Amino acid sequence: MGYIRIERAVCKGCGRCIIACPKDLIEFSEEINERGYQVVTYKGSPEECGGCTLCAVACPDLGIETWNNRGKQTFTVTTGLTEKMTHYCPGCTHGVVHRIVAEVLNELGLIGRAIGVAPVGCSVLAYEYFNFDMFEAAHGRAPAVATGAKRARPDTIVFTYQGDGDLASIGGNEILHTANRGEKITVIFLNNAIYGMTGGQMAPTTMPGQRTTTSPFGRDVEDTGMPIKVAELLSSLTTPAYIARGSAHDSKHSVRLKKMIKTAFQHQADGRCFSFVEVLSTCPTNWGLSPNEASAWVADAMMDYYPLGVIKEPAKEPATAPAKA
Amino acid sequence: MTKVLMKGNEALGEAAIRAGCVHFFGYPITPQTEVPEYLVKRLPEVGGTFVQAESEIASINMIYGAAGTGVKCLTSSSSPGISLMAEGLSYIAACELPCVLINIMRAGPGLGGILPAQSDYHQATRGHGHGDYQLIVLAPASVQEAVDLMTLAFELSETYRNPVMVCADGMIGQMMEPVEFPTEGRGEPMADNDWALTGSEGRERRIVNSLYLSPEDLDAHNRKLKAKYDLIAEKEVRHELYGETESPDLLLVAFGTMARICKSAIDDLQAGGAKVALFRPITLKPWPYAACREAMDLLPADAPVLNVEMSMGQLIDDVRLAGEGSRRVEFLGAAGGVVPTPEQVAAKIRELLP
Repeated sequence: MGYIRIERAVCKGCGRCIIACPKDLIEFSEEINERGYQVVTYKGSPEECGGCTLCAVACPDLGIETWNNRGKQTFTVTTGLTEKMTHYCPGCTHGVVHRIVAEVLNELGLIGRAIGVAPVGCSVLAYEYFNFDMFEAAHGRAPAVATGAKRARPDTIVFTYQGDGDLASIGGNEILHTANRGEKITVIFLNNAIYGMTGGQMAPTTMPGQRTTTSPFGRDVEDTGMPIKVAELLSSLTTPAYIARGSAHDSKHSVRLKKMIKTAFQHQADGRCFSFVEVLSTCPTNWGLSPNEASAWVADAMMDYYPLGVIKEPAKEPATAPAKA
Repeated sequence: MTKVLMKGNEALGEAAIRAGCVHFFGYPITPQTEVPEYLVKRLPEVGGTFVQAESEIASINMIYGAAGTGVKCLTSSSSPGISLMAEGLSYIAACELPCVLINIMRAGPGLGGILPAQSDYHQATRGHGHGDYQLIVLAPASVQEAVDLMTLAFELSETYRNPVMVCADGMIGQMMEPVEFPTEGRGEPMADNDWALTGSEGRERRIVNSLYLSPEDLDAHNRKLKAKYDLIAEKEVRHELYGETESPDLLLVAFGTMARICKSAIDDLQAGGAKVALFRPITLKPWPYAACREAMDLLPADAPVLNVEMSMGQLIDDVRLAGEGSRRVEFLGAAGGVVPTPEQVAAKIRELLP
């Protein structure tokens, strides 16, 4: 029989695991933990759980480990993150993406060479969670900081972790030129269509009609333009790159996202090209939705405009040198 | 050692390599563009890195990234570009990272002009970014001194883990003079340390960060920085006293190119028996207040100090601070790329002498 272990102290009661479980074996308990969250509990009989990991994959807070029918552990909390509890709101997918990045670096054996660059925004404190060398950069400047670090230490694995205000607005120039120079770095770009840390203002990625504190009547595209599709924008550059867009809103998409992030870091490890993964992400607090409503909103309101998939890949063979005039 | 004839900007670039710096990040702007143009050719010969950034905002942040990994690194710019670097300088100083930046000042404000000026004195010594932080600012008066101060700049930046600005004007950047380099070939890289981000394999992880959400922690961080700046002010002030240094009747104060012009004026007047001294701060930050006050004390009781600058009254603030109200401080200045001549300085001196 498989089973899961829920770490009650870190549970934020977002309920994403409840939705993720294909056998409906998890529910809210009566228990309120020390941080004031109503924690989840396993409700099924022991033989029902197969240890499929989907609940653990959905959990943004590293709160679940899983074992399969043969007693083999199928999901282990990564050592690529520190034990510090994140400050992210319940149901925010930053935690999911942190976990994936840490797992990928571990699995590729790159963690000892990793240097991360945290942005300004909700993930400003990412340096407290990633368990390796970290910079904290000025707002929007992370790609320039990463450029300096990678050029100075080409043997390190350098990545930035940025939100949409940081990367798509104030840092628009830095990301454009870092991609165009083909810097051998990896950029993880979280698009949750809003400014989170400052309390829910309109971002360059905010959807048409979406209400934010600075678009209180809904984003008026006549006045503010259409949301920027950063992945497509960067893909228009001629410089070779790996550019993909995934989503962290549910477990199934998170598994696909992990493959993209792994490919991105592999390209860097191979010294091949600039790599960029945009991640559709949730902001339940500033969207004014429950965690599960927020996940549904990503699928319903964002995915048509921001299609998922690998958008650009480096050529299999090195580009041939242009013919001499 | 042999002397070579070099343009100031190119000599500054070469001096960086001799000091062990092989990582350059910068953006073109007149009148400093020969620094990147020289280094883009020279750095590959010594296994170095050259990146032309998309802006000065990017170049200073590339410096932040490179400095944070524990390599000697350099950027260069001119006045409007330094304005754009303000944010990054604040972060670098806050994180106590060593780096060197060259500022070949041009005339402002706004787009201003491309001719030499000293109107970014306040910016260099008080201005640029937000928060309680200081740069070390070194001001050469010749191409040879620019080379010597570049060597010192890399030493000081590493010793104190602080950004250092070599602050010259367009005249020094653009003119050619014979120079002698103190060492041959590429200098030593930065010594190993316990703060650089190099990948955490086999050691505790490290963080380069300037965010302190607890007011007590941030207060403590600021006090630590202040103690460092106080130590720098105690140990690293540099100046030159020139001319009649025993019992002058008048004291000039000027730096950089303007100080050199003042020396010519003093030399011209000495033939006629005028007893004039020049006090030249070499470190603009920390400023040599005590030494300047000592020089002022050489003067007769009611003798004036003449402050000369290629700006509209910036250096004079520090001259007055040094005098603490004990001296009348007269002003001669020019702006916009106009450089006062030795004759103009001499005429002003004659007007003030008894």
